[in-house]
Amino acid sequence: MNTVEEPRLATPLATESGGAQVDEDQGRQGPAGLLGLIDVTDRHGNMQARLPVTRWPVTVGRELNSDLVLDDVHVSGQHLRLTPAAAGHVTVQVLDTSNGVAFGHKQHVRGDVFDWPVGHPLTLGRLHLNLRLADTPVPLEQPLPRRLWRATLWSLGSVMLVLLLMMAQVWLKIGETQNMLQELPMVLGGALAVLVVWSGLWALATKLFSGQAHFWRHVRIASLAFVAADLMEFVSQLLAFAFSWENVGRFGYLALVLAAAVGIYRHLLVAAPQSRRGLALGVTLVVLLGLPTMWGTQWLKNKRLSNQLYMAQMFPPDWRLAKPVPVPRFLDEAAGIEQRLAKRLKDKQDENGTEPSAEEEQ
Amino acid sequence: MRWLATFFSVLSLLCAPSAPAQTNAAPAAVPLQVPAPALAAAPAPISHDAQRVYAGARDKLVQIRTVLRNSDTQASVGSGFFVAQGGLIITNFHVASQLALEPERYRGVYVPVDGKEAPVELLAFDVQHDLALLRVKNAASNYSSLSFRGSDAPLARGERIYSLGNPKDIGFAVTEGTYNGLVLRSFYPRMFFGGSINPGMSGGPVLDEAGRVVGINVSKRQDGEQLSFLVPAEFAQALLARGANAKPLTQSAYTEVTRQLLVHQEQLTQRFLTTPLKAQKHGGYSVPVFDDALARCWGSGRDADFKAFDLERTDCQMDSYLFAGDITTGLIQMRYEAYDGPKLGAMRFSQLYGQSFGNERFAVQGTRSMTASECSERYIDRQGMVMRAVVCMSAYRKLVGLYDVSVLVASLNRPTQGVQGRMDVRGVSFANGLKLVARYLDGFKWEAPE
Repeated sequence: MNTVEEPRLATPLATESGGAQVDEDQGRQGPAGLLGLIDVTDRHGNMQARLPVTRWPVTVGRELNSDLVLDDVHVSGQHLRLTPAAAGHVTVQVLDTSNGVAFGHKQHVRGDVFDWPVGHPLTLGRLHLNLRLADTPVPLEQPLPRRLWRATLWSLGSVMLVLLLMMAQVWLKIGETQNMLQELPMVLGGALAVLVVWSGLWALATKLFSGQAHFWRHVRIASLAFVAADLMEFVSQLLAFAFSWENVGRFGYLALVLAAAVGIYRHLLVAAPQSRRGLALGVTLVVLLGLPTMWGTQWLKNKRLSNQLYMAQMFPPDWRLAKPVPVPRFLDEAAGIEQRLAKRLKDKQDENGTEPSAEEEQ
Repeated sequence: MRWLATFFSVLSLLCAPSAPAQTNAAPAAVPLQVPAPALAAAPAPISHDAQRVYAGARDKLVQIRTVLRNSDTQASVGSGFFVAQGGLIITNFHVASQLALEPERYRGVYVPVDGKEAPVELLAFDVQHDLALLRVKNAASNYSSLSFRGSDAPLARGERIYSLGNPKDIGFAVTEGTYNGLVLRSFYPRMFFGGSINPGMSGGPVLDEAGRVVGINVSKRQDGEQLSFLVPAEFAQALLARGANAKPLTQSAYTEVTRQLLVHQEQLTQRFLTTPLKAQKHGGYSVPVFDDALARCWGSGRDADFKAFDLERTDCQMDSYLFAGDITTGLIQMRYEAYDGPKLGAMRFSQLYGQSFGNERFAVQGTRSMTASECSERYIDRQGMVMRAVVCMSAYRKLVGLYDVSVLVASLNRPTQGVQGRMDVRGVSFANGLKLVARYLDGFKWEAPE
């Protein structure tokens, strides 16, 4: 094998990549004679080793005579051999290893030969190998992260939105102007404090996992999730009132759960951006398992899915669209209660040991 | 609706640790217990008449205890008195209810003033008038008994009468007071006794100056002084006549209690349906309340610190409650609140109005004696006025065929004005419950020109 690979070292790559403006030798080899660069990082992205490639092939393993010596017990003495292929690619030959090499989602075993393009990491043992070649163009310069006015505006806007909503709620719920003014600073201060603490905790987690805090991004996510939840709750209550859809009001909290789940997913994504699918799956699972658990508990306890016995939310009378029914029809419907109570009487589980008077009104 | 939690708090005079009223009263009684002799010298000095009456009744007076069969500890104490030869004792039903409903768990004993306790058995009871007839087990015939004052000699208002019993298991006592006629608007005749009686005296006799039984201690108002109630003696005589030769009850008597409660609720429903409701006017609304002949109503204005809208509230309760074991039942309550908030605007008014509507309590969870509530709700049309109406009911588990029924309504015809009403009926048949709801809803009208 070695003898087959050797000749490719000097010639074929050069002819393939040779451009009009670039000198052939210069194209493959940097001024320092560098053909490429292999970086070794651990799972957290910390650099463990770096090999400037000055000649091909490159052998990778734990043995000290390897070109790139790795200190990982899951790497074999002679693990890989790398030889140049087409421009921007290297051919990987898997040597005497039982763990093999992972590339993308594919696991390569001993004896496999495959193509490794620049820019995609290779995983062997617990380490990642990243490749740069002299003949591949460097990606464009990224602008330095600046405090963009747009992001600042978004952050401020979302916080203002939260505060405005809280103010509206206080205004609606407290009839007395004086009480309202007394309450307002507390409510707004409380909302701000909760927002800061919540986002702060997320920022802390984010810092732990990805090195940067992204505090304001968390503030935006939390604010928008809160606003969305609040609006959805309002809409569900309004629909319930307008159309006498009691169940929409009763289960309006599902919209809240949804908003909360999306919000938490976004928070998590900031903390660990690389595992998008895992996080989505995790959050969905929690919701899908949590809701039935809650319903199950309530059902076992009270034989109903919601403890809200009747719709209480009110809006101005003109907003009601459902047609009222004549009293006799209302009473006819109420007569159905007898059946439902008969079921409850039959069901011994409904009879939980609370003392009489514990739940009764005075 | 921020209803007054209880505007009537009537305490049955059973002395049982489970009853909340007793636990409230207990700390107050503690200091009194220490110097035992001081107790005899109660607030008012006892007259020679009281001394004479007590001396005459002493050997006919007993304490009734219900005792847990397993642990032999007492579950409740009340009082009673010998009423005829053969060891027959009269007491309150609520004193003996555990013997009637759970004979497998409880047994009854009586303790005379200076004697040893001995077992008693339950012969008959009258839930409506809260009376029970007991008999000493394996009775000898030589029990002296109290005699009744005949109906040919009615009591005069202001006449001195004497209540006897064993308050709070402290010791036998006699309390002097006056007869003040019958309680107004009471569903069953009750005597108004101007004297203080205490828990544990339930079932004790009330005697006239000649030592004849005129009534039986039953309850008192907690929110007043010396407002006590007695069952007229004639009902005890009737029970005695009916039950003297009955066989002792050995099985749980839920069927009989239910039968008597069904009779009661039928009478209650009939009385309610045949007495027209009074229409109370409130800024264009006409709201139903009890007729004055049927029940007391209490009104109150808005809270002083609540200026955003005008709020008026009225609470009514029919005096028809019965103590059936550990539940109080057989009553109808009505309450309404009228709201007016022209300065609030429709949106804010509706929020506050909805908060008040949601601030109502129903049995969400079932208990040992009741199921959880089941509700039905709708927008209803009351002669052009739209209202939100909710009916919730729960069923008695062991009193088969009886239900608690609640109806809650809120008018929805004006942007910044409205009335909310609630009626609670305890212990009625399902059909009667719906009839009462229909009657109640009928009382709501909008009359002001639009």
